[in-house]
Amino acid sequence: MHPGALALFFVLLLGGCADSPTDTVKIAFIGPLTGGVAANGLGGRNSADLAVRLRNADPRSRHRYELVVLDDECKPNIGVQVATKAAADDHVIAAVAHYCSAVAMGTVDVYHKFGMPAVVWGAVLPDVTYGNDFDEVHRVNGTMINQNDVAARFMTALGYRRWAIIHDTTDYGKGHDKYFSEALAAQGGTIVGRFGVTSDQQDFNAELTKIKELKPEVLYFGGLTPIGVRIRSQMDRLGMNTVFQGTSGIVSAAYIEGAGALAEGTVAFREGAPAERLPGGAMFLEAYAKQGYGDPPEAYGPFAFAATNLVIDAIEAVGPNRRRVVKQLNATRDYASAVGPITFDDHGQNTVPIISKFVVQDGRWVIWEDSDYARGKRKLPRPS
Amino acid sequence: MSKRAARIDIALALAALAGCALFTGLFLRAEAQWEIAVLAVLLAATLYAAGRSGVAARLEATGAAHPRAASLAAGAAMLLLVALLHSSHFALLMMATVALFATACMGLTLQFGYAGITNFAGAAFFGIGGYTTAVLATHTGVPHLLVLLAGGAMAGLIGSLLILPILRTRGHYAALVTIAFAVLFKTFLEVNDALGGPQGLKVPGLELFGWAFNRRIPLGEDREISFFASYAALSIVLALLAYSLVKRVERSWLGLSLDAVRVDETAAACFGIDIARWKILAFTLGNFLVGLAGGIYAMMLGYIAPTSFTFGDSLIMVSIVILGGLGNPLGVIPAALLVVVLPEKLQLIQEYRFLLFAVVVMLILVFRPDGLLPRRMREYFAGWKRA
Amino acid sequence: MDPGLLGQYLLNGLVLGVIYAMVAVGFTLFFGVLDVIKFSHGDVVMAGAFVGLAAYAGLEHLGLHSPLLALALIVTAATAAMALFGAAAARYLVLPLRGAPPLNTLLATLMLGLALREAVRLFYPNGSNPKPFPRLLPVEAIDIGNFTLRYDSAIIVLGGLAAIFALHIFITRSRLGLAIRAVAQDAETARVMGIDFRAVVLATFALGSALAALAGVANGLYYSEVNFSMGLLLGVIGFSCAVVGGLGSVLGAILGGFLFAALQTAGAVWFAVPAYKDVFAFAAVILVMAWKPTGLISETPAERV
Repeated sequence: MHPGALALFFVLLLGGCADSPTDTVKIAFIGPLTGGVAANGLGGRNSADLAVRLRNADPRSRHRYELVVLDDECKPNIGVQVATKAAADDHVIAAVAHYCSAVAMGTVDVYHKFGMPAVVWGAVLPDVTYGNDFDEVHRVNGTMINQNDVAARFMTALGYRRWAIIHDTTDYGKGHDKYFSEALAAQGGTIVGRFGVTSDQQDFNAELTKIKELKPEVLYFGGLTPIGVRIRSQMDRLGMNTVFQGTSGIVSAAYIEGAGALAEGTVAFREGAPAERLPGGAMFLEAYAKQGYGDPPEAYGPFAFAATNLVIDAIEAVGPNRRRVVKQLNATRDYASAVGPITFDDHGQNTVPIISKFVVQDGRWVIWEDSDYARGKRKLPRPS
Repeated sequence: MSKRAARIDIALALAALAGCALFTGLFLRAEAQWEIAVLAVLLAATLYAAGRSGVAARLEATGAAHPRAASLAAGAAMLLLVALLHSSHFALLMMATVALFATACMGLTLQFGYAGITNFAGAAFFGIGGYTTAVLATHTGVPHLLVLLAGGAMAGLIGSLLILPILRTRGHYAALVTIAFAVLFKTFLEVNDALGGPQGLKVPGLELFGWAFNRRIPLGEDREISFFASYAALSIVLALLAYSLVKRVERSWLGLSLDAVRVDETAAACFGIDIARWKILAFTLGNFLVGLAGGIYAMMLGYIAPTSFTFGDSLIMVSIVILGGLGNPLGVIPAALLVVVLPEKLQLIQEYRFLLFAVVVMLILVFRPDGLLPRRMREYFAGWKRA
Repeated sequence: MDPGLLGQYLLNGLVLGVIYAMVAVGFTLFFGVLDVIKFSHGDVVMAGAFVGLAAYAGLEHLGLHSPLLALALIVTAATAAMALFGAAAARYLVLPLRGAPPLNTLLATLMLGLALREAVRLFYPNGSNPKPFPRLLPVEAIDIGNFTLRYDSAIIVLGGLAAIFALHIFITRSRLGLAIRAVAQDAETARVMGIDFRAVVLATFALGSALAALAGVANGLYYSEVNFSMGLLLGVIGFSCAVVGGLGSVLGAILGGFLFAALQTAGAVWFAVPAYKDVFAFAAVILVMAWKPTGLISETPAERV
């Protein structure tokens, strides 16, 4: 190898050498930091980092905490790899893990095998907690079942009857399609067309043209911000004026920035109380802004923050021991967090009582009840 | 050559082997940035010195003179390393991953390096092996040894769908056929629910001759043998077998025919070499190896999903083949180590790691265009030039 | 089918085809002069769009709001920056690898693409999220039944075709174009005739990359949104179009672009799950390769033995 090349390599590699003292307690954060959904992973990472920083600054805290950040690339094989890395290290007491459901599905076995407590902060597939009986696996965010149930009830109550669905063909989009369809059937709505699209697709004109012909009242989109922005922008090109209803995946500042003025009137649902409404949540947003991170917390940042705090509090209470922390986490009842009270059921799933309804108004996600739309000052599009 | 010199050569080879094993072990266990940096400097310095002083050439000659002993010794050294690392789960997982990727890339070497078939769908065939294994092991009682072989066979079989376009096309045109297949494969798996769709499938652990690989074996009070130890050992043995197979093919008249096909199809045809037959053989045998490795990988991880078998993952395999030195199955091993483990070691720089990785690969390609261990010209008489 | 809808599908396919063709022409040019595949091309499209976006942000910052001026600036900045980038990539990455196996160039440019993609994601402000692209073209629309034609779609189609046509004229009529064709035909003889080989290669890469940047801007204007990962699939598709059309042929690249767009649109219309459209389009590509191994419009078939 050429010496010049090597020199550059080492200069890059050596940047920022730091050795950690041994008496600190390590917590792993796992999420997608590179690739297509990196924005969410970085938001979660920063939020978890914030929780650790705040705790280390608190003189009452009994341990010093260190966040070990690992990138799962949103791929199950890499996820298993990094989860093994974290779990095999005895100094890592617990993990705050996963945004992508397929990754979480792959790694729950690893946490179980190693007896390492893990709190999922973003993956929404029900099977992550309900598909197994592992004591080690917990989840602070709700599943897509809760979310879609509320969404279907709310939208039918507004008087809409005909839906078209676009979902991406990842587990996230397919799951939303399934659970929303079920919830909607129970409320008597009809689905006139269902379109699975790949998550890296750019052009939706063909699908949208088909949908336009079907004349739905609402276009339900199960997927994440990047293609949500594309679909909303391309609807405009075809002169479509249907209600755009999204899922938790588009409740992000990036959606509004990306879709611009077209975002107005987009409806979406997310589990957990809106951060702004809770004292803990408002504190979180303020502290996050103060740290000056390069990326926004995104929809699941508050959950990563809450999950990290939950883990730290468990360690503070019973000491840095995996088995005891698992027990402590399983006993979580009405834990006050940035996303509202957390209570785990026997599968370690937070039984989130609250689903927040959002609508975009003047370039902001506004809680439906506080919006001009609820007051009747503005109206969502109605079929003519 | 005198007996004394031969003895020195063998001692040198053993020392080098021990050095390699030691390095691999340390590199796998290194955590802090400075450790990794020191090891990388050390490696580069050693390689440079070995190349300059002629030690490298001497080692190679020794290896070439005793091929069987050399690969056995290398296998023994690696297995010894597995035994030493018996309780560090992560290092063993990485070792097994490297060995499996090396095995798969040896299959690709048959295609790229010998027959001259470009295959940009390596991860797809890897995935076919994995999915076949998952389905057969979950839903049937077929012994796992057969399941793994079926995974390889399925990869070969599905690969045969591409044979006609591959035989008819060359160069970049052939590359497109496999690229299209790689993209198509992943999308198909995601859209189609029959194989778990985007969520993927659970894969049972491997069980060979009554031995459950996922079992952890306690050693006394608080020590144990990791459940990845058996996988690592198996993968290393498999990589070794694949290496011997590829080497054997290369040295035989098969390899000679394949080389002729790659270098000049027209001339090869003039000499009565059946081009189609050799291309089909290399392509199918290569895919078989890839699928076999994919099956073990799936069982080791216990979970597979389409996102693990994208076009991007195929490119990772191609980069291993090229970085190792096109057509040299030995080069595949350090290249696999580099490509699989380096991004993992770069976890420390979090979201910047792929940027750095891309830059490193580009630098290697510019400054070492023939790969880490370039393939040598065939020697008509072994050791002729040096005699 | 309703004629209005049919027209809508045709229009969708047409815009898509023009964008694909612009990307494919670059692949075909590079292959022509240097027999290499530059796989970072899709990411150059993306980077071009982001340079345009940055230029627009700068203009907004200065308080100038004329759409026409903004469009001119975006196009100039994007094409100039990418032309420079293309030439630099040729000079420092592709040409040094000329002696190595062609696969190396492919891998090296793939890595260049990855580096470009990651760099935009990391260093463009909030680059991991999709960015809105300004609407600078008139958005008024003509509605005929179910058919909606927005002026900007028409302008993009015509503009794209004009750019490709201009390139074609440039290659067939200008002196530099002649040199490019000479190098493509036989680099050795071209050198003997006094053509500066390196300069021609750099010029070709600059030209192809500038066209890619234009495709990026067109893409941004059409979808009103750009993101760091949009080049990945676009690069693979552009390459497919160039190969299906026949590497080395500009006309083939255009043909390939429209063919691929037609396949995708048809796939989306036919299948109940539109995501199958990529499976369908790429399967069709494999079949075309089996039928016409050197593309629809093939290079000169004679082979030196």
